[in-house]
Amino acid sequence: MAVSSRRAGGVVGSVRLLRSLQHQDGRLFSTSVARHTAGSEGQPPKFVPPSKPVIIDKAKSQASLRQFLSPEFIPPRQRTNPVKFAMERKDMIQRRKILNIPEFYVGSVLEVTMLDPHAASKTNRFVGICIQRSGKGLGATFTLRNIVDGQGVEICYELYSPRMKHIEVLKLEKRLDDNLFYLRDALPEYSTFDFDMKPVHLSPTQDVPVNQIKVRMKPRPWSKRWERPKFNVQGIRFDQCLTPEQMEHAQKWAEPWRQYDMLKEYDTSSVEEKILQEVQAELNK
Amino acid sequence: MAAWTRGLLRLGEALLKGAPVTAYRTVASLERIPAVQCVRTIKTSTWWDEHLTEDNANVMRRAVAEEYKQLTVDRLNPLKDEPWPRHEWDEKSRRVGLVAVKLGMMPVWTKSGERHVVTMLQVQDCHVIKHIPKEEYNGRTAALIIGAKNSPPFYRTEESLEMFRNAGVPPKQKVTTFHVTDNAVIKPGTPLYAAHFRPGQYVDVTAKTIGKGFQGVMKRWGFSGQPASHGQTKTHRRPGSLGPGGDPAKVFKGKKMPGKMGNVFDTAFGLKVWRVNTKANILYINGSVPGHRNCLVKVRDTILPHRLEKNRNPPFPTFFADGDEELPEDLYDENMFQFGEPIPG
Repeated sequence: MAVSSRRAGGVVGSVRLLRSLQHQDGRLFSTSVARHTAGSEGQPPKFVPPSKPVIIDKAKSQASLRQFLSPEFIPPRQRTNPVKFAMERKDMIQRRKILNIPEFYVGSVLEVTMLDPHAASKTNRFVGICIQRSGKGLGATFTLRNIVDGQGVEICYELYSPRMKHIEVLKLEKRLDDNLFYLRDALPEYSTFDFDMKPVHLSPTQDVPVNQIKVRMKPRPWSKRWERPKFNVQGIRFDQCLTPEQMEHAQKWAEPWRQYDMLKEYDTSSVEEKILQEVQAELNK
Repeated sequence: MAAWTRGLLRLGEALLKGAPVTAYRTVASLERIPAVQCVRTIKTSTWWDEHLTEDNANVMRRAVAEEYKQLTVDRLNPLKDEPWPRHEWDEKSRRVGLVAVKLGMMPVWTKSGERHVVTMLQVQDCHVIKHIPKEEYNGRTAALIIGAKNSPPFYRTEESLEMFRNAGVPPKQKVTTFHVTDNAVIKPGTPLYAAHFRPGQYVDVTAKTIGKGFQGVMKRWGFSGQPASHGQTKTHRRPGSLGPGGDPAKVFKGKKMPGKMGNVFDTAFGLKVWRVNTKANILYINGSVPGHRNCLVKVRDTILPHRLEKNRNPPFPTFFADGDEELPEDLYDENMFQFGEPIPG
């Protein structure tokens, strides 16, 4: 009896311990194991180690990882000596070894910390949606937009500037367009982002989701006539701000023959693959 | 192509005049070879590939290119005599410069994070071709002829190739002359490298500017033009008055007028060297330099008097690769941010 009571006391203690654990992380533990140990009579309770979970870390296998080459690595189509781009690439890789530049797209929400010699804290933090990625090579830039105190703010950052201290992707996603300058003429709710936003996790094996959101615009006039075919904007609710006649009228500036211009075609896939391999080999060194 | 056209024209003339010999020869050749053939009337010289098939000509081209490449790599110099004496640098001495290819532009940052732009100039196969002593040149200064960028010897005359053969280097696409002092002369055949210039020093860059064609006064000389509206009649980009009327009763010489713009030699003075890549032989020069992409530019020590202080004690008379000076791959200006550096602050 003494034994059993001692055992019962131990069980109570372990249950309390488990409860406290459960309080911290409810999903991991249940008290059913303890009840089972208490119920078995005769033999002293044998410790059965739980079977080790077999963790298949998909992130480890290189094949399933998302492949991404930053667009500034792709050389523009021009008659420049390839040595120039190779030299720039070397510098870019060296910088990337020091500063982690994550994968992001136009439409992703980023947090950027820059060194600011004029600020009191010496650093400057900004959160916003990436509305443009521009420039090739070391001169690559991206533009973040947010609305601070009711005032739209856009900051153009140099990706390889030594003042760039930290880049973090808070929400990795794409939008329907490669350029979101039309957010300037959209309702402010579409470019307002909380500075204390929590990062949204996305598995490195998962495809980057495309946000299908279509924004509502402020009344016209806009900074540009976004309905014109040359912008080819997909992410605007034109049906709310323009009449069908106006949409029809915008087609007057369409240049449907452009898509058949074979001189404008620039297939970068083979170049991209080669550069991606080179960059990955250098970064893993 | 021009030569072919000329040949055809002359053939046509000959046929019109009824020169029987030429006509017979044409007919005979047409019978033998099914392709169209014309008869050259100039018999004094031949094209280099006139009697070669296309394959053989290609083989020749490739062989010559390889030979020149090897010649450049080995820095093979057939003149096996003694090297020339080297002298010490002094205030009055004037070094030779380089001929480089303009690659393009990129940004650089200083350590404090300020951004500058630089032009990348690559020194390709730059060699000393010829030394002209003071007496033969102009009596005041000696000259060195420098060439860069190997080019095929075809379509060149024997006389123009002689200079290169004497120096033991391949023929060059671009050849220029530099005035040097007597203590800075270098033996012909010596290769020149980007390490001839060092970071922190100042250079002048000369090249032919991009041709703009026939331009009006607004683009060519920066005139203001006239208003776009408010009653202007056919007067928006015109020069306006050419000068006073009755008293001089003429247009002064040198009046700025519309005309051909660009495609003239221009020099950018006092540009700082930010960085030198000794392996790929690339100079990173501050700002923009004249000329289009891939054009050959002439780089020399600056002549600006207030920059001479920065150009003291350069590699003299030039940087020799076989010397005892071992250089790292990249030479940086002390103020320049290097990308491998940790993030400051």
